[in-house]
Amino acid sequence: MKSRSSVIGGIVALVVSFVVFVIPFAFIILMAFKDRRQAARLDFSWPTGFHLWDNLVTVVTTRNWMLITAFINSTILTVASVTLLVVFGAMVGFVLARRKTKWNPLVEFLILAGLMIPPAVVPTIWLLQGISLFGTLHGMILVEVAYNLPFTIILYRAFVATIPKDLDEAAIIDGARPMDVFFRVILPLLWPVTVTNIVVQSVGIFNDFTNPLYYLPGNANATVQLTLYNFQSQFTTAYNLLFTNIALITIPPLIVFLFFNRQIVAGMTAGAVKG
Amino acid sequence: MAGLSLKSIHKHYGALPVIKGVDLSIDHGEFVVFVGPSGCGKSTLLRMIAGLEDITSGELHIGEKLCNEVEPRDRGIAMVFQSYALYPHLNVYDNVGFGLKLAKTPKQERDRKIRETARILKMENLLDRKPAQLSGGQRQRVAIGRAIVRQPEVFLFDEPLSNLDAALRVDMRMEISKLHKQLGATMIYVTHDQVEAMTLADKIVVLDGGVVQQVGSPIELYQRPANLFVAGFIGSPKMNFVPVQVNRIEGSRITVSGQDVINLTLEADASAVKPGDELTLGVRPHDLAPASSGSIVGRVGLVERLGNETIVSLELPSSSNWLAVLDGDQPLNRGESLALSADTNKAILFDANVNSLIPKAPG
Repeated sequence: MKSRSSVIGGIVALVVSFVVFVIPFAFIILMAFKDRRQAARLDFSWPTGFHLWDNLVTVVTTRNWMLITAFINSTILTVASVTLLVVFGAMVGFVLARRKTKWNPLVEFLILAGLMIPPAVVPTIWLLQGISLFGTLHGMILVEVAYNLPFTIILYRAFVATIPKDLDEAAIIDGARPMDVFFRVILPLLWPVTVTNIVVQSVGIFNDFTNPLYYLPGNANATVQLTLYNFQSQFTTAYNLLFTNIALITIPPLIVFLFFNRQIVAGMTAGAVKG
Repeated sequence: MAGLSLKSIHKHYGALPVIKGVDLSIDHGEFVVFVGPSGCGKSTLLRMIAGLEDITSGELHIGEKLCNEVEPRDRGIAMVFQSYALYPHLNVYDNVGFGLKLAKTPKQERDRKIRETARILKMENLLDRKPAQLSGGQRQRVAIGRAIVRQPEVFLFDEPLSNLDAALRVDMRMEISKLHKQLGATMIYVTHDQVEAMTLADKIVVLDGGVVQQVGSPIELYQRPANLFVAGFIGSPKMNFVPVQVNRIEGSRITVSGQDVINLTLEADASAVKPGDELTLGVRPHDLAPASSGSIVGRVGLVERLGNETIVSLELPSSSNWLAVLDGDQPLNRGESLALSADTNKAILFDANVNSLIPKAPG
């Protein structure tokens, strides 16, 4: 028997998530269907006509197909950064958890510093210019990796500590070199954390607005979040196009989440009961 | 063909010595058991042979090769861990084949070897399962399979049976023994369970405090322990000890007595003993028998009647406790006085340096 309080609790939770998640999303979709005049009123009204296709075409073709370039750039940026983050974060977490040396406290301090100290933009640009990486996609990838590495390492290190050391040793006896131990034994066992990392970091990097704004100037280098500026200006804003754009660039993170959703749940339970 | 030889092996953790100079030689095909109490360094020694721990000083030869600095994979060894250490993400087939895959063995040969191993260990039906779907005994089998598939010269077992229940442990013990005969490889086995040690070993190495106390066959260790530690460690229940004084020496026959023992004469190596010396007498619980004129008299404490034998704890006049295992069912009552005689052929004297004074074996 369900108690009355749990039913009420469920209804409250439904209402809250409806208000927080569904209403804004519905607003975005509705706006994408409106024409410019109706959208400018910024109200929660039913679209008077079907303008989605026109809006889509305009958004995609604006400024010489900028959105397409932006999608390509953002995809490269996200995939490359997340791949590097997962590999390096897991490696550092593995070594930190397994090898106790007198350098560990220093390394841990640096990781914490990376989490706590806000990055300074101008010196970073100056450094990037010095090594000719300013305004390039690979420079941007390195910046994203650097900014997000501490968090990734901390997630991985805690999980590596739960993997018995006997497994490393069994692999070593079986003839594994250090890289084999890591890639064939440890990394597959880290899958639950890896999924968490992929989801958190890829959504974060794909949605990153400020860092590409600072470090990746130029039309050819635009990322999806920067395309939002195409439809806003000081005096006029084309809200129908802006919201169509938002709808378009919200889709990829949504797909990532839907795709990994099951795996996240599976990963959580796999970590809870170790065989 | 690979025997092992350890020469003056030392291990320090920082300033703390753990292994204090071990000399040992192991012949090809021997089954050697390292036994000792927790923390005696037996596992550390095994891990040094495996290459998982550095050797601080000394020489380790496997076969003819000096192996101090050789990587584990090049030592020709395989190891079975206490926790099994199966790779949870791989099925049994891949667990067993992991080492072969790393060695880049061709696929067909790998498949043949894995199936051959599965056949030896009777686990052909388990090949598709993940470790989490196996019982303790099956996991142990897979762990052993992972070792034998690589056909190593030397097998290392680190307390492989201590996570199994009692019945399974007996089965697996027999299987390991059978496997040893079948493969004819050198096996080194670490355990703190002396039953495992006694039943499996060709040669037992008793360790305590990082020092080898005695090396010998199981029966030799039981009958002719080199010192008080080995005498106390091997045999169950534990040997009884009591301090005594030398009364008389006639050739190799020494008569001793003490607070708890009245005039007991036994054969011993009397060369360095003189009347009045303080010695320790050791008698195994099984070597005591009730006798009205017995030289050991005490008050009965706890009585455990097992049907085929009776285990009695006896409080002696000096208030030390002895155990006696008496044949058959003995209807004894708590608090009653009991006189026992010791089998003087099997009782052992120990000198002040705790070394045993067993007469030299004839010939």
